[in-house]
Amino acid sequence: MKKDIDIKSVAKLAAINLSEHEEKKLEKDLNIILEHVEALSKMDIDDEEISIHPLGEILNLREDISSEFLTHDEAMSNSPETEDGHFVVPPSLD
Amino acid sequence: MNLSNSSISEINKLYKSKELKPSEVYEEVFTNASLSESIIHAHLKLFQEEGIEASKLSDERFAEGKQLSDLDGIPIAIKDNINLKNHETTCSSKILSNYVSPYDATVITKLRNSGVVFTGKTNLDEFAMGSSTENSAFGPTKNPWNPEHVPGGSSGGSAAVVSVGSALASLGSDTGGSIRQPASFCGVVGFKPTYGTVSRYGLVAFASSLDQIGPITNSVEDAKIIFNSIKGHDPLDATSIQDTSIEIPEDKTAKVGVIKELMEDGISDESKNEVEKTIKLLEEQGNKVVEVSLPLTKMALSIYYLIAPAECSANLSRLDGVRYGSRESGETSYEMIENTRAEGFGEEVKKRILLGTYALSAGYYDAYYGQALKARSLITKDFDNIFQEVDYLISPTTPTPAFKFGEKTENPLEMYMSDLCTIPANLAGLPAISIPTGLSNQNMPLSIQLMSPARTDSSLLKFSEKLEKLVAFNQRTPLLKDMK
Repeated sequence: MKKDIDIKSVAKLAAINLSEHEEKKLEKDLNIILEHVEALSKMDIDDEEISIHPLGEILNLREDISSEFLTHDEAMSNSPETEDGHFVVPPSLD
Repeated sequence: MNLSNSSISEINKLYKSKELKPSEVYEEVFTNASLSESIIHAHLKLFQEEGIEASKLSDERFAEGKQLSDLDGIPIAIKDNINLKNHETTCSSKILSNYVSPYDATVITKLRNSGVVFTGKTNLDEFAMGSSTENSAFGPTKNPWNPEHVPGGSSGGSAAVVSVGSALASLGSDTGGSIRQPASFCGVVGFKPTYGTVSRYGLVAFASSLDQIGPITNSVEDAKIIFNSIKGHDPLDATSIQDTSIEIPEDKTAKVGVIKELMEDGISDESKNEVEKTIKLLEEQGNKVVEVSLPLTKMALSIYYLIAPAECSANLSRLDGVRYGSRESGETSYEMIENTRAEGFGEEVKKRILLGTYALSAGYYDAYYGQALKARSLITKDFDNIFQEVDYLISPTTPTPAFKFGEKTENPLEMYMSDLCTIPANLAGLPAISIPTGLSNQNMPLSIQLMSPARTDSSLLKFSEKLEKLVAFNQRTPLLKDMK
C-alpha cells in the first residue's frame, strides 16, 4: 500500500504553505511514520465493524430549540477583521 | 503544615472549622508560583487579582457557613486548551495567541458553581500534540523534580503546578496519555475518565473520539472529588454519555491482570519493577493477580497515529484566519489561509495535520483511516474479553521515567513511544489512572497505571485509593525547599 508521500500536494490539500526546509523535514518524518503504520494495512480485518464513539454510543443531538447564548458581537469578537457585523476576507478569486 | 501538599478534604475541614481561610491558601499557592515560575515555566498566565478576589469571596461564604461545595475556595489551575470566559485560550499556539474566550467550558461552569478559585492557565504542547511540552510556542515547561528533564505532555504545565504546589489540583486533557504521562513524570496522580463522562464542550478539540478532560491531583481522593464535580451528561456535547455507572469489586476480592505486552521489550527495568513491587503488595493484601495478553496493544500506536491526526486535520481546519485567531495577509482568501496556517502552526501540528490529510485523502481513506477504525474496534473487543476474566489491568504508566530535553526530538517515533502504555485506554474509551509509586535511580518519579472497564470510574477510584495507601509513596519535589 505504502507509497512515498507527495508532500506538496498534501500541503495544498491541508492549506498550509510550507517552506522548502519544512517540506524536506516533514516529508522525512511522515515517511518514517507511514512506514511504522504499514503493519496495520496487513491485518485481515475487512469484516470488522467500525464505531466512531469508543463506547459504541449513538450520538444524540439536543433538541432544536433556540436558547440564550453568545450575542452577535461576542461571536464576532475574535475575528481579525469585521465590518457591519460581517467577517471580512480578501477576494476569493484571483 | 504545608498547605499546598494537603488534601482537598483536609483543607475543606480546616475551612469549615475556621482554622484556615481560602485567601490564606491562595496566598501560599501564589507564593509557590512566584518562586517556581522562573525555573519551571508551568503557567502561561496567573490570575493574581482575580484569584485574590475569588478567594476573599470564598472567605465570606465560609464565615457565613454558606460554602458552595467541598471544592469551595480550592485553588485549581486549568490547561490552556479549556475555555474560561474573558481569558485567553492559546492552546500554546501562535495562531490563537490573541484569542479571548467569550464563554466558559462546561467543566469551568461546574467548578465555578462549586466555588473553585482559578489560579491561571497552564502550558501544554501546541494543541495538546506532544509528550514533553517541547512543542509549546511559548517555550517548554521544566520538570520540578529536575529542570533538565521534561515534565511530560501534553498537560505538562498542569502536572508541574500540582507537583510544585502552585495549585492544589489542575485540569488536563488526555487524548493518548496527556494527563497520565505528565502526572507520572511529575510524581502526581492523573486520572482519565471513561470517554464521554466529562463534557468536552469548551475544550479545544484535537481528536474528538479520543479527547477527555480529567484531573491531576496530589492524591486519588482529590481526583475523586474533582471528577465527581465535573462529570455528568451535557446536552452541549453530543458524545457525552448518560450516567450509567457500573460497580466492580473494590477490595481484596478484585482480580487484577498484568498486561504481558506492556512488561516486555521497550519498557525499562525501572518501570517494570514498580509494577512488580505493586503486584506484590496487592497479593499480600489478598488480591489475585494474573498475567493477561492483549496482543493488539502492539498495534495501538499505529492505530492512534492514523485516527488522531485524521481527526486533528478536520478539527484544526477551522483555524483559517477568518473567524478567530491570527491572520497573515494574502492576495486571495486561499492565499491568506495558507499563509496564516503556515505562520500560526508549529512543526508538530503541521506534521499531524499533513498526516491526517493524507490518511483521509482519496485513494488512501480505506487503507489508512478505515483500517485503523476497524483495528480500534478489535482492541475494544479484546479489552471486553479480558475484563470477563479480571476487574482491573495494571501496567507501567510510561516506558521510562522523565527523559531529558532534546532526547526524543529527532525521530518522531521515539517521542510517540512514550505514550505506548497510555494510548490503549483512549482507543477503547476506558477509564485509567496513573498513581506515583517510587523514584528512579536518578530520583525521578515512577508510576503504575490501572485501567478498568468503561463506566467503572467510581470503582477504579476506590480501588486506587486503597492501592495508593498500600504503596504509601509520599515524596515531594525538593524544588521549593531550598528557596523558602
